[in-house]
Amino acid sequence: MTRVMFDSVARLQTRSAVYPIDYKRRSLLILLTAAALLMMLIMAGWLTNPDALSVQLDQRNLPPSFQHLFGTDWLGRDMFVRVMKGLLLSIQTGLAGAVCSAMIAAVLGIASALFGRQADRIITWLTDLFLSVPHLVALILVAFVCGGGMKGIVIGIALTHWPALARLIRAEAMQLMAAQYVQVSRRLGRSLFWIARRHMLPHLLPQLTVGLILLFPHAILHEAAVTFIGLGLPPHQPAIGIILSESMRYLSSGMWWLAVLPGAALLAAVRAFDVIGSHTKRLLDSQQYERL
Amino acid sequence: MLNMRCAQTMKQRSILLLWITVFAVLASGCTARVGGSAAADRGRGNSLVIAVGSEPEGGFDPASGWGLYGSPLFQSTLLKRDNDLKIVNDLATDWNVSDDGLTWTVHIRKDAVFSDGQPLTAGDVKFTFETVRDSASAVDLTNLKEVRVEEDYAVSFHLQQPQSTFIARLITTGIIPEHAYGRKYASRPIGSGPFLLKQWDRGQQMIIEVNPEYYGEKPGFEQITILFLGEDAAYAAARAGEVDLAYIPASLSGMNVPGMRLESVHSVDNRGIMFPYVPSGGQTPDGKPVGNDVTSDPAIRKAVNTAVDRQGLVDGILEGHGSPAYTSSDGLPWWNERAVIEDNKPEKAIALLEDSGWRDTDGDGIREKDGRRAEFVLMYPAGDVIRQSLALAAAEMMKKVGIRIIVEGKSWEDLEQGMHENAVLFGWGSHDPLEMYNLYSSSYKGVEYYNPGYYSNPAVDRWLDKAMHALTEEEALVYWKNAQWDGQNGMSAAGDAPWAWLVNIDHLYLVREGLDIGRQRIQPHGHGWPITDNIAEWQWKQ
Repeated sequence: MTRVMFDSVARLQTRSAVYPIDYKRRSLLILLTAAALLMMLIMAGWLTNPDALSVQLDQRNLPPSFQHLFGTDWLGRDMFVRVMKGLLLSIQTGLAGAVCSAMIAAVLGIASALFGRQADRIITWLTDLFLSVPHLVALILVAFVCGGGMKGIVIGIALTHWPALARLIRAEAMQLMAAQYVQVSRRLGRSLFWIARRHMLPHLLPQLTVGLILLFPHAILHEAAVTFIGLGLPPHQPAIGIILSESMRYLSSGMWWLAVLPGAALLAAVRAFDVIGSHTKRLLDSQQYERL
Repeated sequence: MLNMRCAQTMKQRSILLLWITVFAVLASGCTARVGGSAAADRGRGNSLVIAVGSEPEGGFDPASGWGLYGSPLFQSTLLKRDNDLKIVNDLATDWNVSDDGLTWTVHIRKDAVFSDGQPLTAGDVKFTFETVRDSASAVDLTNLKEVRVEEDYAVSFHLQQPQSTFIARLITTGIIPEHAYGRKYASRPIGSGPFLLKQWDRGQQMIIEVNPEYYGEKPGFEQITILFLGEDAAYAAARAGEVDLAYIPASLSGMNVPGMRLESVHSVDNRGIMFPYVPSGGQTPDGKPVGNDVTSDPAIRKAVNTAVDRQGLVDGILEGHGSPAYTSSDGLPWWNERAVIEDNKPEKAIALLEDSGWRDTDGDGIREKDGRRAEFVLMYPAGDVIRQSLALAAAEMMKKVGIRIIVEGKSWEDLEQGMHENAVLFGWGSHDPLEMYNLYSSSYKGVEYYNPGYYSNPAVDRWLDKAMHALTEEEALVYWKNAQWDGQNGMSAAGDAPWAWLVNIDHLYLVREGLDIGRQRIQPHGHGWPITDNIAEWQWKQ
């Protein structure tokens, strides 16, 4: 009996001793690979020469080759450069949108916990309101009201992606608010702002970081969706959604590379963000676990 | 965490969706190559299935524009154009214009009956023109003062002012029956044309059959089904052997469809760059800005006209299915061949620009004059791929001569807002010379989409007015031609060049082998319906 118990304790110990390190190392490796891939995409977007986007009617409809990795479109524009520029635009939009969303989520989530029941009720109602409308519909609405264009899309993404994260932050903040040291802090006369800054934010930072990263793929896909349906950007701008919607016209003529390669590139970018987000979460979670 | 997980599954779902899309793309790319021959030997009967364009949503009422493009099918007109665009009688047996040009008298045939058996008389003609005038829709008949019934089969039109283009109204206005015209007419047309409407399934198709009462030569087919399909769907239907004739875009012209042949029909369906003609600073009555300081310089407009490689645009963007455009009416009876200029001459354009003071002083590749850069905005309707392609390609061509064109895709609302101060890629093309008047006459400055650049030249105006007020179209032809270029003045590229016309787009149709669609005339703006102009002549080859 004791032996059995001892065995299982030992097994537990070895697992807890080995598992986190192995786990962390692997996560870190995957995370770095995904980040490197993303950096490559971004650098490609930065460094490629925009002159390749000029119209060259004698080079149109070329299939992929070493000279044109992704082929060329019906105006002879290099598809690789267009896709990279488009992805860069998507990532920039995603960044702006995700950061704004995360900020809104943080402010609302913490305010919900700090300012009592009335504030909480209003904020919860607002969150539910935004959650009840599909992202894309709300996004289109906001983008349209803001007069379209890049600005409209960024504002639209920023204003529509916060509710899920805000709920999460609110729940965590509520829990913190009830914690003894926060109660003590309040009794000692610390201001609400001080509590938010010194007690809440440091605790919520891991959640926020993970939430922020996981918002990215969402924002990027939605940017692609909005440009796909032709809202916002003029159709000759390199944006991934525009490129994909153009390619639909050439399906019946068998020019597969116009759709498949940009689609795969978008997929790679979105997947990379996804992987980074989930592995960051694992790393941060295990740290929390260790601290306890 | 629940929300996070939820978000993650959602993401996974959207990624899955993306993959499905990618595979669908691959799959359809592959399947497009098989099929086709299966039903190739369909047809050869008395009926025909065609896909020629969008549904006439307003129905088949000439008072709301039915028949402006293509044959009115169910109605017949007083006059018509033959395949050479010459004017011939249809319902009319004889017509003349009074010496002052104010009274047009038309005698009509006595054997014409509506499809309900009632005879077609002068009263119906009077009723038709009054209805069309009062409906104030697509057709402008404000110049028509009154219509008088002279006899049972003679009618006279009294105009406010002489108008040689009034004849186009006699050519396009289908005669409607006074006794059977009502609210439901648009969906249940009764007329004296070669066909009857048998069935109309909104959003899908219409079926027409031969009108046994028709006075003219009977059509070669007893029944024709017209499918309302988009260009891609029409192409797919042609591949599947489901249609005998389909309109297709130039991008699909390279594909070989077994059992079908490609017919390319010349057109005046033109595309060109409209330049604001006056310097900036003006305003329309409703406050839109007018004028552009760069395009108001004739050297810029002429340089664009000279440097642009029109044939290159035809080959590169229209896959060769088109022709260079030099005016708004290339190939039509009122077209002036002398208005054709030499293009694809960048060095000539550069010399022109240098001579008028446009020089690249700061070495950035763009010329300047008086501190102003040679750059302007060219807008195109964002939904139109051909115009987008033309705009981008033209902008690329202008880089060589040091003119920077900033291409912007806009919605039609935004275009209307900015079309008086920016260049716009427009498209026109009509079988009515009135269009030329509307585009270039100073009296049409800023009226709807006509003359948005505020072009005006008194010499051109004089020719246009003379043409307009001529008694007959023949007499007017000389004046129309002179308005384009009379040796000194003109609104073509040889003269003031307020436009840089680029291309005429050939209309492409896939036609089943053995189907004879007659000799097609030069088609107006609009791909699809105009091919029905001579539908009554179509037949299987012996």
